[in-house]
Amino acid sequence: MTLSVALGPDTQEGTRTGTEASTDSLTAPDIPWNLVIWNDPVNLMSYVSYVFQSYFGYSESKANKLMMEVHKKGRSIVAHGSKEQVERHAVAMHGFGLWATVEKATGGNGGNSKNAGKSGGSGQGKGKRG
Amino acid sequence: MAKAFKYGLKGITGFLEPAERELLRSLIDDVISMLQPAEHTSQDPLAALIGLDMDVQEPTDRAVKRLLPNVMKNDDGASLEFRQLTERSLRETKIGALRAAALDLDRDEVVLTAEGARFWSMALNDVRLVLAERLDIRDEEDAEHVHLMQDWSQAEDVESYLALVYNFTTWLQESLVQAMLQSLDSRA
Repeated sequence: MTLSVALGPDTQEGTRTGTEASTDSLTAPDIPWNLVIWNDPVNLMSYVSYVFQSYFGYSESKANKLMMEVHKKGRSIVAHGSKEQVERHAVAMHGFGLWATVEKATGGNGGNSKNAGKSGGSGQGKGKRG
Repeated sequence: MAKAFKYGLKGITGFLEPAERELLRSLIDDVISMLQPAEHTSQDPLAALIGLDMDVQEPTDRAVKRLLPNVMKNDDGASLEFRQLTERSLRETKIGALRAAALDLDRDEVVLTAEGARFWSMALNDVRLVLAERLDIRDEEDAEHVHLMQDWSQAEDVESYLALVYNFTTWLQESLVQAMLQSLDSRA
């Protein structure tokens, strides 16, 4: 990803809270597919964070954390759900120009999956036109 | 010179010179023409109506493939199957955003609703993805190299011109997204 060019680092205060998906109590066995976002050198870091906030309804801090994970680790699982759910998210991400794939969740995803948001909550509806 | 987008009482506003609007319009038109689905004479009209395209193949042009990527990393068959179901409507979504942005280019002052801003950010992003493929930006180092090109008087060949255009659209998108993030903040 590319850091902001003309305006310097993001100086926004973390004022966006409380918009987090409220479905975090879903348990892993019910949600066997992951939505993965891959790093690329073109998409702006601010834009990726904006997409995570506006489409999934994630807080600014959660969106930035996932965005930085994409940037530093090359990929991040940003949502999971049924195959149909993550496929719908993937099409929306492609609409925004983000490089997204879906994959079957495997047990040993380590720390990565801890950061993953649950789909099916506030992510739905908001991004239908994305 | 264009003015950065900002968020205010009127919504998200920006200002572009006629030459800049002309440039953006031609970039947008280029991307639209890349995204126009091929017409198949054998196309089943009902399938076309509901967005299916059983003749679709993985794009051969790298830029088109970046705009319409495979949905699975290591399964070309499943990706193609998914493409048959979804690619046509994805192309239409993208073309819709690009056309909406082009319509806003009729005036110097660009005033955007939240939805209009989203279309603009998507359109600028697709324009940048295509330019980046043409400039062969493969990693962050390439991106930094292109970013160093800032002086229009140095534009001597197609590549340096493309780099300047890329940097302009990057700057414009960044200012737009900052304004959009501010508008999200004020709604929270």
